[in-house]
Amino acid sequence: MNRQIRQLALGLMACYVVLFVALNYWQVGRKQELDARFDNTRQVLREFNKPRGPIVTSDGIVAAVSFPTAPGEPYDYRREYPTGDLLADITGYFTFAFGSTQVERMYGDVLTGSTTEQQIRGLGDLLTGGTGSTGTVELAVRHDAQEAAKFLLGGRTGSITVIEPDTGAIRAMYSNPTFDPNTFVNADFDVAQQAITDLQNEPGSPLLAQAYQERYMPGSTFKVITTGIALESGIATLDTAFPDEREWVPPQTNDPIQNYNGSLCGGDLATVFARSCNIPFAKLTTLLGPEAMVAGTEAWGIGEPLPIDLPRPAASTFGNTDNLAQELPLLAIRGFGQSEVQMVPLHMAMVAGTVANGGQMMEPYAVESTFDQEGRVLDRTTPQVWKTPISPQTAEIERQLMIGVAERGTASCCIALNGGIPVAAKTGTAELGDPTNPDLSHAWILAFAPADDPQYAVSVVLTNVQSTADVAATGGRLAGPIAKGMLDFLLTGPGATG
Amino acid sequence: MTDTAAPTWHVEQGDIVERPDSPLARSRRTTELTLLVMAALITGAAYTVTALGTNAEIPPGIVFFVAILLGMLLCAHVVVRLVARGADGTLLPLAALLHGIGFVMIARLDDELAGLQATWSLVAIVAFVATLLVVQRASDLARYSWLFFFGGAFLLLLPLVPGLGVNINGARIWVSLGPVNFQPGEFAKVFLAIFFASYLAERRELIAASTWKIGPLRLPEPRYIAPIVMAWGFAVVVMVFQRDLGSSLLFFTLFVVMMWVATERVSYLLVGAVMFAAAAYFSWTQFSHVQTRVDIWLDPWADPLDRGYQILQSLYGLADGGLTGTGLGRGNPGQVPEAQNDFIFSAIGEEWGLIGASAVLMAFVLIVGAGLRIALRTDRTFEKLLAVGLTTIVGIQGFIIIGGVIKVVPLTGITLPFVSYGGSSLVANYVLLALLIRLSDSSARRLGELPDDPTPTERWKAWRLGRRLRNEQHQAAA
Repeated sequence: MNRQIRQLALGLMACYVVLFVALNYWQVGRKQELDARFDNTRQVLREFNKPRGPIVTSDGIVAAVSFPTAPGEPYDYRREYPTGDLLADITGYFTFAFGSTQVERMYGDVLTGSTTEQQIRGLGDLLTGGTGSTGTVELAVRHDAQEAAKFLLGGRTGSITVIEPDTGAIRAMYSNPTFDPNTFVNADFDVAQQAITDLQNEPGSPLLAQAYQERYMPGSTFKVITTGIALESGIATLDTAFPDEREWVPPQTNDPIQNYNGSLCGGDLATVFARSCNIPFAKLTTLLGPEAMVAGTEAWGIGEPLPIDLPRPAASTFGNTDNLAQELPLLAIRGFGQSEVQMVPLHMAMVAGTVANGGQMMEPYAVESTFDQEGRVLDRTTPQVWKTPISPQTAEIERQLMIGVAERGTASCCIALNGGIPVAAKTGTAELGDPTNPDLSHAWILAFAPADDPQYAVSVVLTNVQSTADVAATGGRLAGPIAKGMLDFLLTGPGATG
Repeated sequence: MTDTAAPTWHVEQGDIVERPDSPLARSRRTTELTLLVMAALITGAAYTVTALGTNAEIPPGIVFFVAILLGMLLCAHVVVRLVARGADGTLLPLAALLHGIGFVMIARLDDELAGLQATWSLVAIVAFVATLLVVQRASDLARYSWLFFFGGAFLLLLPLVPGLGVNINGARIWVSLGPVNFQPGEFAKVFLAIFFASYLAERRELIAASTWKIGPLRLPEPRYIAPIVMAWGFAVVVMVFQRDLGSSLLFFTLFVVMMWVATERVSYLLVGAVMFAAAAYFSWTQFSHVQTRVDIWLDPWADPLDRGYQILQSLYGLADGGLTGTGLGRGNPGQVPEAQNDFIFSAIGEEWGLIGASAVLMAFVLIVGAGLRIALRTDRTFEKLLAVGLTTIVGIQGFIIIGGVIKVVPLTGITLPFVSYGGSSLVANYVLLALLIRLSDSSARRLGELPDDPTPTERWKAWRLGRRLRNEQHQAAA
């Protein structure tokens, strides 16, 4: 029998060798392939069941926070957003089955304490009786400014962005339509799936932060850029004069270009800028030519995704530039922000900020600092220059031009600030050219104040607004009061600091 | 060694005055004690690290936990030292290690189950001790072989009794008695192994002497194989009526292996394989649940969210663990349904990695090795066959379920010995372990490695005999 017993030993040994080989096959051989499978939720789940630190605004309001769940619930924590939809564009959401967005996505490793630095510190804390290793993200965004923005927008579709020109810190960035992450982050799979599908199908992409993830035709606000390029190239100065004209026929076509509403418009650069005539800027653009214009827009960061510290930023665009030399009429109207030009609202705030900041465009950031659980700073955002499209001299000229817009131009109706604080602005009314609805436009304004010592740069856009027989839906009239309200709140209102 | 072979104990006026020393037994017990302390320390460390991984805190009752654990293991050790001191010193520590790893994983998965498992662990150690104390001579078991046969059959069929048996997860292998649920099949496999060892030991020549010839096949006389056919019948009953494919496969393999070893005829393995293939094919054509198991095994990705979910989650967990594991308490083994039970191995693979999972495989290989070494060393057919049977149970059961959760064989619900959650399984496996230790001790004594000192019962009988003789002397003197 001993021979059989030895054979049995060999047989059973062989069985376990097979198991060992199979174990290697799954755990090592096919590890990467299995990890990458779409129905494999391990990595997400590991993230999901970790304690997760809060996201707070720069004025100390909690925008996202996790609570441990009762035993027996499917996940260990529930994520709550006490401010509802107010900061959803900034915090984003954090779900198990549908991914995460914005700060929740970009700063997931800090919030869960997974960065190497937190791990090392956490190890030390463990020995000294510390409490764990989650992190806190402090936003540059202010809760009060965000509330003011939401109030001023009043449910209208569009967005408000406020940055600090000299740092790029985003102090407010609110857009409609938006969403409340609380409606689905902790819901059952089916409920959450339905809610997210509904939001995806809703017009206006509420799940996107339109202020930095969408782009719109900028209309005359683009003249800040065109003027900057023209001044830098030397083809225009403050003294350049433009004749009074109703129409101008650009090269390569017979169709004339008109000013807004077909008005008669002309004068020196300050006048045409303040009145926002179209023809002078069409002429400047044509004079610059396609190459200089494209190079000029690129110097302003057009064509590149915005360097924000949030995921999936949009890139502004000057449109298709392949055949512009053969399409000079198109180039001409792009010079005043029509046709294929599309700008990201945040980018427009940065354009205003560039003028306010002596020609330097700062990288925008939504997160000010990160902290470990003991409140020690992990990282603090250092302001960075992104582009320098214009010289300080050009910036100074443009600042004067924009003050002119506020004092006696298209924004003079609506932007004068409380307390007589000087302000600089540029309006825009982008005519969408919808054949069935010719009066549909985007109403824009860029502004910064105080004009002599800029602290805030604002861009406001109301999208798809409709002119009526009584009221022209212009940037000055519609967006102007919103920018005024925002700047008043920040400079002389409840939001004034120091 | 032969000089110690003769009984050297002395009866003086009916009392044993001296328990002779045996260096070999002493070294085995020292080995066992050292390894047990190591197993307890590994378990304690794993428990602490797992708690750190899940809650980032050192478990408050860790000292108490290790103390209880050590206490239980030392208690088992002391009993082995007293009544089976010549036995192999690795079996108990290996089982304790597997048991500890399993417990840590169960505690990590479900606090409530951990409490129950702790209670069952205590019961299992008591059962281990009781078995060693009751079964003082391995040969005693052979005397009651038919009792074990009927007992085994009774236990096996018990879940089919209406009102007593319960269906859980589609298998009717549970018996509900008041508050206690148990799986009698876990004990039936030990009982039937005892019966088979005894039956085959008595009749192996008769069975092996072929009398029937059908073509190239030579079969024993029908009356000798009747009980074996009945046992095969049990396996079929278990598969068809209890829907327990794993246990059925285990019983069947057990019978075939024991027949093969007893008769030394490889034809039994071949016939067994053919019978198994036929039964498997038949059940595959007849039963949808068998087809489902096979389909999932062949392609779990065909239905990843429903039927293939469990095995896929198991594989994803293993892959997530990789070589070194996600870290104790830092994976998501709870994703796999029944992770504390059939799928505990994939939970270990996930958090302890290939390294930890291989350690578990190695522990099973070592138990199989130790068990078969007992079978080789002993000179009595019954004990040889019993050791073979008991070892086969542990080895094959481990293979079936580990193979199932890593997609080597179709998944059949069955527990991983010593590791899975479950009172019946744990208690039955500790009884099995006690029997192996008893067999090991018996063979060591017969090999003369230690003096064959009397068992406690024999001492007691000797003491009573002595007292009676003294009384008679007194009376005679009076």
